[in-house]
Amino acid sequence: MSDELDKIVAMTERSQEQAAGVVEKLFDVTRPSSVYSEPVTAGDLTLITASEVSVGMGFGLGVGGGQGRGGPRQEMGEDEPELEGEGTGLGGGGGGGGASMARPVAVISVGPEGVQVEPVVDPTKIAIAFFTTLGSMFFMLSRMRRG
Amino acid sequence: MSRLNDVMQWQTLSGEPVIVGDVTLTPQAQALTIRWRNGGFVWNRPVAVLVERLGQTERIPIVDVTRGAQFTLLGLGFFFSVVTIVVSIRRRRDCNE
Repeated sequence: MSDELDKIVAMTERSQEQAAGVVEKLFDVTRPSSVYSEPVTAGDLTLITASEVSVGMGFGLGVGGGQGRGGPRQEMGEDEPELEGEGTGLGGGGGGGGASMARPVAVISVGPEGVQVEPVVDPTKIAIAFFTTLGSMFFMLSRMRRG
Repeated sequence: MSRLNDVMQWQTLSGEPVIVGDVTLTPQAQALTIRWRNGGFVWNRPVAVLVERLGQTERIPIVDVTRGAQFTLLGLGFFFSVVTIVVSIRRRRDCNE
Protein backbone atom coordinates (compact mmCIF):
# COMPACT_ATOMS: atom_id res chain seq x y z
CA MET A 1 0.00 0.00 0.00
CA SER A 2 2.73 2.40 1.02
CA ASP A 3 4.84 1.60 -2.05
CA GLU A 4 1.84 2.06 -4.31
CA LEU A 5 0.95 5.34 -2.63
CA ASP A 6 4.53 6.58 -2.94
CA LYS A 7 4.51 5.64 -6.62
CA ILE A 8 1.24 7.50 -7.25
CA VAL A 9 2.38 10.56 -5.28
CA ALA A 10 5.68 10.63 -7.21
CA MET A 11 3.77 10.32 -10.49
CA THR A 12 1.43 13.15 -9.48
CA GLU A 13 4.36 15.37 -8.50
CA ARG A 14 6.02 14.69 -11.85
CA SER A 15 2.79 15.53 -13.69
CA GLN A 16 2.44 18.70 -11.62
CA GLU A 17 5.99 19.76 -12.50
CA GLN A 18 5.31 19.13 -16.19
CA ALA A 19 2.08 21.14 -16.05
CA ALA A 20 3.86 23.95 -14.18
CA GLY A 21 6.48 23.98 -16.95
CA VAL A 22 3.73 24.36 -19.55
CA VAL A 23 2.19 27.21 -17.54
CA GLU A 24 5.61 28.94 -17.32
CA LYS A 25 5.78 28.85 -21.13
CA LEU A 26 2.47 30.69 -21.12
CA PHE A 27 4.21 33.75 -19.66
CA ASP A 28 6.43 34.02 -22.76
CA VAL A 29 3.40 35.75 -24.27
CA THR A 30 4.25 38.85 -22.18
CA ARG A 31 7.12 39.65 -24.58
CA PRO A 32 6.45 42.43 -27.12
CA SER A 33 7.56 40.08 -29.91
CA SER A 34 4.36 38.09 -29.40
CA VAL A 35 2.31 41.22 -30.14
CA TYR A 36 4.26 42.59 -33.11
CA SER A 37 4.90 40.52 -36.22
CA GLU A 38 8.15 40.32 -38.14
CA PRO A 39 8.42 43.13 -40.72
CA VAL A 40 7.22 42.18 -44.20
CA THR A 41 8.55 44.18 -47.16
CA ALA A 42 6.59 44.57 -50.38
CA GLY A 43 8.05 47.06 -52.82
CA ASP A 44 8.65 50.37 -51.02
CA LEU A 45 6.44 49.42 -48.10
CA THR A 46 7.40 47.59 -44.94
CA LEU A 47 4.48 46.34 -42.84
CA ILE A 48 4.32 45.22 -39.24
CA THR A 49 1.07 43.97 -37.74
CA ALA A 50 0.23 44.71 -34.12
CA SER A 51 -2.17 42.29 -32.43
CA GLU A 52 -3.77 41.91 -29.05
CA VAL A 53 -3.05 38.51 -27.51
CA SER A 54 -4.61 36.88 -24.47
CA VAL A 55 -3.92 33.43 -23.10
CA GLY A 56 -5.32 31.62 -20.07
CA MET A 57 -4.53 28.21 -18.69
CA GLY A 58 -5.23 26.11 -15.63
CA PHE A 59 -4.80 22.58 -14.39
CA GLY A 60 -5.62 20.48 -11.39
CA LEU A 61 -4.34 17.19 -10.03
CA GLY A 62 -5.51 15.00 -7.20
CA VAL A 63 -4.76 11.73 -5.53
CA GLY A 64 -6.65 9.79 -2.92
CA GLY A 65 -6.92 6.42 -1.30
CA GLY A 66 -8.72 4.39 1.27
CA GLN A 67 -8.45 1.28 3.38
CA GLY A 68 -11.14 -1.01 4.73
CA ARG A 69 -11.76 -4.38 6.25
CA GLY A 70 -14.59 -6.91 6.32
CA GLY A 71 -17.03 -6.46 9.22
CA PRO A 72 -17.87 -9.13 11.85
CA ARG A 73 -20.47 -11.74 10.73
CA GLN A 74 -23.13 -10.83 13.29
CA GLU A 75 -23.48 -7.34 11.90
CA MET A 76 -24.31 -8.63 8.45
CA GLY A 77 -27.36 -10.33 7.06
CA GLU A 78 -27.49 -14.12 6.96
CA ASP A 79 -27.49 -14.13 3.17
CA GLU A 80 -24.47 -11.92 2.93
CA PRO A 81 -21.19 -13.68 2.18
CA GLU A 82 -18.67 -13.44 4.94
CA LEU A 83 -16.16 -10.71 4.28
CA GLU A 84 -12.73 -11.05 5.69
CA GLY A 85 -9.39 -9.45 5.23
CA GLU A 86 -8.36 -5.96 4.31
CA GLY A 87 -8.84 -4.00 1.16
CA THR A 88 -7.14 -0.93 -0.10
CA GLY A 89 -7.71 1.40 -2.97
CA LEU A 90 -5.79 4.22 -4.52
CA GLY A 91 -6.54 6.56 -7.34
CA GLY A 92 -5.58 9.80 -8.89
CA GLY A 93 -6.58 12.06 -11.69
CA GLY A 94 -6.01 15.36 -13.26
CA GLY A 95 -7.19 17.71 -15.89
CA GLY A 96 -6.48 21.03 -17.44
CA GLY A 97 -7.69 23.50 -19.95
CA GLY A 98 -6.83 26.69 -21.65
CA ALA A 99 -7.85 29.24 -24.20
CA SER A 100 -6.10 31.79 -26.32
CA MET A 101 -7.23 34.71 -28.42
CA ALA A 102 -5.41 36.95 -30.86
CA ARG A 103 -6.86 39.89 -32.75
CA PRO A 104 -5.16 42.34 -35.12
CA VAL A 105 -5.33 45.91 -33.78
CA ALA A 106 -3.28 47.94 -36.24
CA VAL A 107 -0.86 47.79 -39.13
CA ILE A 108 2.31 49.88 -39.01
CA SER A 109 3.53 50.82 -42.45
CA VAL A 110 6.89 52.36 -43.25
CA GLY A 111 7.19 53.81 -46.72
CA PRO A 112 8.22 56.88 -48.69
CA GLU A 113 5.44 58.85 -46.93
CA GLY A 114 6.87 58.04 -43.53
CA VAL A 115 5.55 55.89 -40.72
CA GLN A 116 1.79 55.41 -40.49
CA VAL A 117 -0.33 53.43 -38.08
CA GLU A 118 -3.56 52.20 -39.66
CA PRO A 119 -6.16 50.77 -37.25
CA VAL A 120 -7.80 47.43 -38.02
CA VAL A 121 -11.54 47.71 -37.40
CA ASP A 122 -13.66 44.63 -36.73
CA PRO A 123 -17.17 45.56 -37.93
CA THR A 124 -18.68 42.28 -36.70
CA LYS A 125 -17.69 42.95 -33.09
CA ILE A 126 -18.91 46.53 -33.29
CA ALA A 127 -22.22 45.41 -34.85
CA ILE A 128 -22.72 42.80 -32.09
CA ALA A 129 -22.03 45.43 -29.40
CA PHE A 130 -24.36 47.90 -31.15
CA PHE A 131 -27.30 45.49 -31.39
CA THR A 132 -26.75 44.29 -27.81
CA THR A 133 -26.86 47.90 -26.59
CA LEU A 134 -29.92 48.60 -28.72
CA GLY A 135 -31.64 45.49 -27.34
CA SER A 136 -30.91 46.45 -23.75
CA MET A 137 -32.22 49.98 -24.40
CA PHE A 138 -35.51 48.64 -25.83
CA PHE A 139 -35.79 46.21 -22.90
CA MET A 140 -35.29 49.00 -20.35
CA LEU A 141 -37.73 51.29 -22.17
CA SER A 142 -40.45 48.63 -22.31
CA ARG A 143 -39.96 47.88 -18.61
CA MET A 144 -40.22 51.59 -17.80
CA ARG A 145 -43.45 51.92 -19.80
CA ARG A 146 -44.98 48.86 -18.11
CA GLY A 147 -43.83 49.90 -14.63
CA MET B 1 2.90 44.53 -2.12
CA SER B 2 5.51 42.08 -3.45
CA ARG B 3 3.03 39.27 -2.85
CA LEU B 4 0.51 41.11 -5.00
CA ASN B 5 3.21 41.59 -7.63
CA ASP B 6 3.80 37.84 -7.63
CA VAL B 7 0.13 37.31 -8.41
CA MET B 8 -0.56 40.25 -10.70
CA GLN B 9 1.75 42.36 -12.84
CA TRP B 10 1.02 45.24 -15.17
CA GLN B 11 4.06 46.19 -17.19
CA THR B 12 5.00 48.14 -20.29
CA LEU B 13 7.84 46.59 -22.28
CA SER B 14 9.79 47.72 -25.30
CA GLY B 15 10.64 45.21 -27.98
CA GLU B 16 13.68 44.83 -30.19
CA PRO B 17 14.15 47.89 -32.44
CA VAL B 18 13.40 47.32 -36.11
CA ILE B 19 15.49 49.28 -38.62
CA VAL B 20 13.82 50.10 -41.93
CA GLY B 21 15.98 52.39 -44.08
CA ASP B 22 16.81 55.45 -41.98
CA VAL B 23 13.95 54.79 -39.54
CA THR B 24 14.26 52.88 -36.29
CA LEU B 25 11.01 51.55 -34.88
CA THR B 26 10.77 50.45 -31.26
CA PRO B 27 7.48 48.68 -30.51
CA GLN B 28 5.98 49.01 -27.03
CA ALA B 29 3.48 46.60 -25.49
CA GLN B 30 1.56 46.51 -22.24
CA ALA B 31 1.05 43.16 -20.55
CA LEU B 32 -1.21 42.13 -17.69
CA THR B 33 -0.09 38.91 -16.04
CA ILE B 34 -2.11 37.07 -13.43
CA ARG B 35 -0.60 33.96 -11.88
CA TRP B 36 -2.12 31.44 -9.55
CA ARG B 37 -0.89 28.15 -8.18
CA ASN B 38 -2.06 25.97 -11.02
CA GLY B 39 -2.34 28.33 -13.92
CA GLY B 40 -2.27 31.82 -15.22
CA PHE B 41 -3.60 34.44 -17.56
CA VAL B 42 -1.76 36.87 -19.83
CA TRP B 43 -3.22 39.79 -21.74
CA ASN B 44 -0.80 41.60 -24.01
CA ARG B 45 -1.65 44.56 -26.21
CA PRO B 46 0.32 46.98 -28.38
CA VAL B 47 0.39 50.54 -27.01
CA ALA B 48 2.75 52.60 -29.14
CA VAL B 49 5.64 52.62 -31.52
CA LEU B 50 8.65 54.88 -31.06
CA VAL B 51 9.88 56.24 -34.36
CA GLU B 52 13.46 57.49 -34.45
CA ARG B 53 14.50 59.42 -37.56
CA LEU B 54 17.37 61.86 -38.03
CA GLY B 55 17.99 62.00 -34.31
CA GLN B 56 14.40 62.85 -33.45
CA THR B 57 12.07 60.48 -31.61
CA GLU B 58 8.31 60.49 -32.09
CA ARG B 59 5.83 58.36 -30.19
CA ILE B 60 2.88 57.14 -32.27
CA PRO B 61 0.15 55.61 -30.10
CA ILE B 62 -1.69 52.53 -31.34
CA VAL B 63 -5.41 53.02 -30.84
CA ASP B 64 -7.68 49.99 -30.66
CA VAL B 65 -10.70 51.33 -32.54
CA THR B 66 -12.77 48.16 -32.14
CA ARG B 67 -12.26 48.05 -28.36
CA GLY B 68 -12.96 51.80 -28.11
CA ALA B 69 -16.26 51.42 -30.00
CA GLN B 70 -17.24 48.43 -27.85
CA PHE B 71 -16.58 50.33 -24.61
CA THR B 72 -18.40 53.43 -25.90
CA LEU B 73 -21.49 51.35 -26.71
CA LEU B 74 -21.24 49.56 -23.36
CA GLY B 75 -21.03 52.91 -21.56
CA LEU B 76 -23.96 54.24 -23.56
CA GLY B 77 -26.06 51.21 -22.65
CA PHE B 78 -25.10 51.51 -18.97
CA PHE B 79 -25.87 55.25 -18.93
CA PHE B 80 -29.24 54.67 -20.60
CA SER B 81 -30.10 51.93 -18.07
CA VAL B 82 -29.24 54.20 -15.13
CA VAL B 83 -31.30 57.07 -16.58
CA THR B 84 -34.26 54.73 -17.20
CA ILE B 85 -34.12 53.37 -13.65
CA VAL B 86 -33.92 56.89 -12.13
CA VAL B 87 -36.84 58.13 -14.27
CA SER B 88 -39.02 55.14 -13.41
CA ILE B 89 -38.29 55.54 -9.66
CA ARG B 90 -39.22 59.25 -9.82
CA ARG B 91 -42.41 58.46 -11.75
CA ARG B 92 -43.42 55.87 -9.18
CA ARG B 93 -42.73 58.32 -6.37
CA ASP B 94 -44.81 61.03 -8.10
CA CYS B 95 -47.70 58.61 -8.59
CA ASN B 96 -47.63 57.66 -4.89
CA GLU B 97 -47.68 61.30 -3.83
